[in-house]
Parts: sequence; C-alpha cells; structure tokens
Amino acid sequence: MNALDLLLLTSLGTVLFSVVFSASLTGRMLLTMLYAVQTVILFQIDAGTEMVSSFGFEIFNHALGLSFNGLSWFFALITLGSAFFAAWYGLNQQQKLLHVGLSANVFSMLVLLSAGDFLSLFIAWELVSWSGVLLMVLGKQESLVATLKYITYAIAGGMAVFAGIILIYSWTGSLAFNAVTENPLSLSQYGTLAILLIGGFSVKMALLPFHLWQAEAYALTSGPASVFLGAISARMGLFAIVITMMHVVDLKTLDSIFLIPELFTFRDFLIWVAALSIILPTYTALRQNDARLLLAWHGIGQGGYMMLGLLMYDQMGSAGGLLHVFNYASCQAILFMSVFSILHRTGTTNLNQLGGLVARMPLSFLAMLVGIIGLAGLPPMNGFVSKWLVYRSLLSDGMAIVFLASVIGTLGTILSVYKLMHNSFLGQLRVEHEHVKEAPWSMTVPMMLLAIIIFITGVMPGISLELVANAQSAIGLTPVDYHLGGVVSANSAISGDLDMIWVVLVLFSGFGIAAILFLSAGKSRRVHQLDNYAGGHFLNANNQYQYSDNFYAGLMHIIKPWYRYSFKWFEGAVVSFVNLAAVFSRSFFNQAHMLIWMLVVVTTVMAVAII
Amino acid sequence: MKEFPVPVQTAEDPSVKKQSGNIFSNVFDELVRFAQSRSLFMLHYCTGCGAIELPPAMTSRFDMERLGIQPMVTPRQADILLITGYVSVKTLKRVILTYEQMNAPKYVIGICSCTVNGGMYWQSYATAKKLNDYMPVDLYIAGCMPRPEAVISGLRQLMEKIKIGEANSWQDYFKRYDYYLGNQQRLFGETWQTPTDIIGESKHYSLHTPETEGEHTRLLELHQRPLEPLEMRLGLSEKTEDR
Repeated sequence: MNALDLLLLTSLGTVLFSVVFSASLTGRMLLTMLYAVQTVILFQIDAGTEMVSSFGFEIFNHALGLSFNGLSWFFALITLGSAFFAAWYGLNQQQKLLHVGLSANVFSMLVLLSAGDFLSLFIAWELVSWSGVLLMVLGKQESLVATLKYITYAIAGGMAVFAGIILIYSWTGSLAFNAVTENPLSLSQYGTLAILLIGGFSVKMALLPFHLWQAEAYALTSGPASVFLGAISARMGLFAIVITMMHVVDLKTLDSIFLIPELFTFRDFLIWVAALSIILPTYTALRQNDARLLLAWHGIGQGGYMMLGLLMYDQMGSAGGLLHVFNYASCQAILFMSVFSILHRTGTTNLNQLGGLVARMPLSFLAMLVGIIGLAGLPPMNGFVSKWLVYRSLLSDGMAIVFLASVIGTLGTILSVYKLMHNSFLGQLRVEHEHVKEAPWSMTVPMMLLAIIIFITGVMPGISLELVANAQSAIGLTPVDYHLGGVVSANSAISGDLDMIWVVLVLFSGFGIAAILFLSAGKSRRVHQLDNYAGGHFLNANNQYQYSDNFYAGLMHIIKPWYRYSFKWFEGAVVSFVNLAAVFSRSFFNQAHMLIWMLVVVTTVMAVAII
Repeated sequence: MKEFPVPVQTAEDPSVKKQSGNIFSNVFDELVRFAQSRSLFMLHYCTGCGAIELPPAMTSRFDMERLGIQPMVTPRQADILLITGYVSVKTLKRVILTYEQMNAPKYVIGICSCTVNGGMYWQSYATAKKLNDYMPVDLYIAGCMPRPEAVISGLRQLMEKIKIGEANSWQDYFKRYDYYLGNQQRLFGETWQTPTDIIGESKHYSLHTPETEGEHTRLLELHQRPLEPLEMRLGLSEKTEDR
C-alpha cells in the first residue's frame, strides 16, 4: 500500500466520517483536520515521478488503474487546499449536505486526477459531475433552477465525452491512455475526437458557448460550497482537456486540422474561444449587481486565461496557464469568503444595498482588497505572475490581437472588482448596517491565511512555480526555468525576466515614501462620515451620496448594444428546439392507437436495417 | 502681462516678527512655506457675478496655473476658498459649512465689493454684508467686478503673505470662535449648527484660547444634535428641516 492508496482511502474515509459526524461542531473541526491530513499524505507522494495505485480492476479484459503524476499532484494540492479552507470557513454551517458534498467532491476529484485510462477517466468524470450537484442545491429556490440547468449541460457534456471514448475504443480497440498515440488515426478522426472530448470537457470548464450555467450554479448556493466550487471545481474541465491534449490530440495535430483552408486551424479556433471566454464573461460580470454573481462570472472569464496559456503550449505560456489555476483558486476563494461574510452579517449581497462596511468589517475588507488585487493581476499579489507569463508568451509568439483581447479582459476585471469593493466596503455606511459586526473568527482566520498565501506566492512565485514545473514535465513540456523570485527567459533573443522580489521592493519603497510624507505631516484627525462635502449641502443619511446603481453608466452606454449578441440566444434556440420536439413526441404518444404506430415505425426501421 | 508691483514685507517691517530658535528649523519652515505658496488648490464658491472673471483668469489668457494655483473639487483638499460675489443668508450657511470642512492652513479671498460691504445689495434684507464678520478673510479684491488682472494680483499678494508666514488669519477662527459663532447665530438664529466640531479642532491645532468658548458656544451645545445617520430609504426623502 503506497501513499496514493492511503490518500484515496483517507479521502473515502473522510466522506464516511462526514456522513456520520458532521452534525456536531467537533465533528466539523475534525473534518477540517482530515483535509489537512490528506494534504500531508499528498506531500508524501513524489510529484516528480509517476505513482501507480495498487487499486485496480479488470473489465472486459481491460485493466483499469489509478496513478498520480506531477499534473495530478498540482491539481490535487489546489483541491485539498480549497477544501481545507472551505471546510474551515464553514465550521458554523450546520447543513449536513454541505459537508458530505464537500468531502464527496474532494474524493471524486482525487479519483479523476488519478485516472489512469479513458474508462476510469469517464467514470470519475461522472462522479465529479454528480457530486457537484450536492454542493449546488444548498441555496434557496433559485439555486435549484441553476442546478437543473447544470445537470442538463453536464449530461450533454458527459454524453459527448462518452461518445468520444467509445469512438477511441472502436478505432483503436483499447481504452488505455496510450491507445491513440500508438495507433495513429486520420485527421478527420482526430477532428471528431477533438470536438467531442474538448467540447464535452469544456462544458465543465465553462468555455464559450457552454458557459451560461456556471455563474448561477456556483454563486447562489451556500458560502463554503461557493468557495470550493468557485476555486477549483471548473478546473477539473481544464485538467481533462490537458489529458486530452496529452493523450488524444496534441496541439500539433490540432494545428494541422484546418477549419478554413490554409488560414484558420482548430487550434486558432480554440485560442479565439479562450480569448472570447475572457472578454465576454468578464464584461457580463461588470453588469452584475449581485456580488456573488459578479465573482462567479469572473471565474468563467479567468478560465479563459488558463486555457489560453495552455494552448500556447510553450514553456512560459503553459506555466502561466497552470500557475493561474493555483493563483486564481486562492484569489477566488478569498473573494467568495469575503462576500459571504458580508452575506452572513448583513443578509444581502446586492451591491446596491451595501456600502461603507470597511468601518465595521475591516478584516473582510482586507481580505477582499488582497483578493481583488490578485484577481485583477496587479503586483504584489500572485495573480500578476501568472498573467505576466501568459502575456509574455502571447507577445513572444506574435499574437498581438489575442494579447489585446486578454488585456481588454483584464481591464474589465479591474473595473468590475473596483465596483465590487467600492459598492460593498467603501462609501456610505447604511443605517441598517450601523451595528454590523466583523465576521466570526472561523471565517476571518481562513481569509487571513489565504491572504498571506496570496501575498507570499506573489512575492516568491518560485514556491508555486516548482509545482508547476513538475506538472509541466509530467505533460511532456520543458519545465519553466524558475527561481525563488520569478522566471528566467529561456529564449535569449527576447529579453525579459521576472523577479517579483525586486518588483515588490520597488513597490514598497514607493509606499515607504508615501508613509514618510504621511507621518511627517503631523497627526491626522478623524471626521464623521456625514461631515462630507456635497456642493455645500447639509448631509444626513437621507441623502445618498454613494453612487452604486447603474455603475459605469457611461461605459455601459457604449457597450450595451454588444450584449445583444450574447450567447443567450443560442441557449434559447436549443431550448425551443427541445420544446418543439417534446410537443411532437407528446402528440405522438397521446394518440389512440399509439402502439400500432410504434409497431409500424419499428417494423419500418427494422426492414430498412435488414435491407 | 504687466507685472504689478507686489508689496514685499521685509524683516525691518515691524509687522514681521523676529524669527528665533534653531536655524535649521527656520530654513525648513521657510522651505515648507515656499512650497505651500507655490501649490495652492482653490475651491471657488461662485456665488455672484464675480465668477465670470474667473474663467479668463484660469485659462490660457491669464493662466493662473503658472503660479501653481488650480481648481479643486472638494474642500478637504483645497487651500483657498474663493467667494466671488454677494452671499445671501442661505448661501452663507453653505459657505461656512464648506469653510469649516477645509483643512488648515486655509485662506479665504473675498472678490467683488459685495463681500466687502454688501456692494449694490447693501439694502437687501437677504444678503450678508461683511464676509469677515462670519469667517476670517485673508484678502479682499474689491471692484464690481475686478478684472482678471486684479484677481491674479490679489492671488500673488496672498502667495507672498504665505511665503513670509503672514497669512495666519485662519487661526483667528479657532482662537475667537465664539465671536464668529455669535455673528452667525445673530443671522441664522440660535439653532444654527454645522457638523464640524470646531472646538475639538482648535484643540487639535493647539489654538484653543479663552475666547474660543463663550456664551455662544454654550448656546450651540444646547441645540447641538449629533450627526446621526438616519434610516435610508429609496425614493424621495422626507422633507427635512429647511435650512
């Protein structure tokens, strides 16, 4: 029994433990500790080499096995970390389903990450899809609708994946990961597999146009569930896409499938899907008035950066894409924690009904500040490093327009996270929130720990780049040349290394100068919030001087017509088509002599088949 | 533009106090005053017709910004409060509110005759005649209305006063708050109040004197309502007390 067996058994044990003991506070504390134990076990596995589990079974003469490599290790660490912080954050949540769902998700994700062949990949994929439902139904009525939508999408995606796997089996006669690489297929077969597998997996990843389910399903549920789902759940789709690119259709093959002859390849198509997945959801996030939905839409947008980085498939780009999984998970987790602590204390996350909470919830404010700096990709937080790597790779590959698209996406991110913080924490404190207290310790402590992680991996990205380098060598890429402060450019023709320690030193010396100026100006004086200037008007709380509704009205006026071309019409068309088919089939079944008609149809089909 | 001679006060002038103490701190103080005089943010409370002379003074013809003066949108960041015409009783309340919200050191400039003595509105029941009854004024620029040249010249005088450390009339508001408050109460009634805690601020700036408090501040304390946020409602707010 090796460390991987122990990890999977502990994870399964955690599920059983949560079923029995999650009703009591002590039980939930132990549950949180169990995720930490799993992380400790994970560190016993050597990330540099492949470890095969001793569990395995045979089906139709095919040996199914579980194994772990650097890529699985990287994703497993993020999964367990998210689960640990989410469970800690949810110590006071009494819903049993939350804790069972969380542990079930972790277990199924670990199984998916250690899948050793296509069949176990599919089984684990379905496990992950269905255990996600456990976490999505925890909200009110609206979360049920979102969950139903998710189930519809997930079944469609799962069926596409299943079809792809069946095709692999029928074409190669094997379900092992090396089936396709050992039996090369024709280009059209590769194209079919790419559409089915990447399309099916990108439903979970919420790439365009399969993204409409995600925001509501992830946001409108219980807090810790949102933290976990938002941080890592969708990235399982990314993991599966990487597996597909590694074992089925590599990027060279994708680059040789032309959608428009001599002009536009399948890889270009995927790059543009990723670029649009950055822009459109980010600007949809800009319109949201619910803080949770705003964050969840960003989750879709940030997925585009990861996808873009991986599609570059060079040293820097793939490192940026993978590192962004880690960085984004930490930032999204802390942001969801901050927003749900607002919800916990004030009962609303409507950005038009909040404001000025920094005076009441300073720690949550600090958490959100760190999170939005990271999410927007600004130094000194970790989001900067991964976005820098992706930009760097796009520029050195000469993809100027895609680079521009990703910068536009970042602009939208900065605008909307500013809206998030301005409308919730800054500005005018509402009377209803005059007596609001800081979130309880069980919520603030994980937030602060995550803030420290975000800052440390921002200043010293070498820590997380080590994991990324392991993952890169596991998928057959040259690992990125990293040191503690950042990366060294391998291509000497294009200069430009990154050393975050210097960046942060320069940044903080700027802060230092500002601090000296501030301190040398004598003592400051606090004034009441309503002792404020409004063109000489005498203010009281009846005068709302916080501008939160219809934020960015000018920008919205310009970009509003663009929203008409969103993908809602696509979803609507599919739904209408299914409705129409349902009407026809119902009228068919409602006939008096339905059985005779069915017999006629079946006989005709059989006759045609025989002839 | 023709330079107007600016009266420069020298150390021989009896109105300038002899400096004493550490020479380094004197140099530092002079440096700070020089810097202050060359970077003035101006909040113009454009009350009357004098405001029409400000756009030419600010824009390319006379270009105030070459002197380091430019407009600012809030009193918290502003150094100069510019009153450009008659102040009606209702406006004066806003002017005082704004003035009290400014951070020290702060300077008030009254432009037009109306701020000096009421000007052509002398007989009006609704205007305050002398601005310096209600707040200390550093400089008046008389005229109906003063030309941009006059405005610039006045601002240069203020700069010179700041540079030699003479523009200290803002301290008078803290030192003799009771006097100014009395005048304000005579005009606005005894329930008059602003949100700013002037007595607390005078202690903050170490300018608290026996004249800071008196019968008028005691009257203020009787009527003072603390700043409390009221319940916020969407839609039209209920009619608040007419000020």
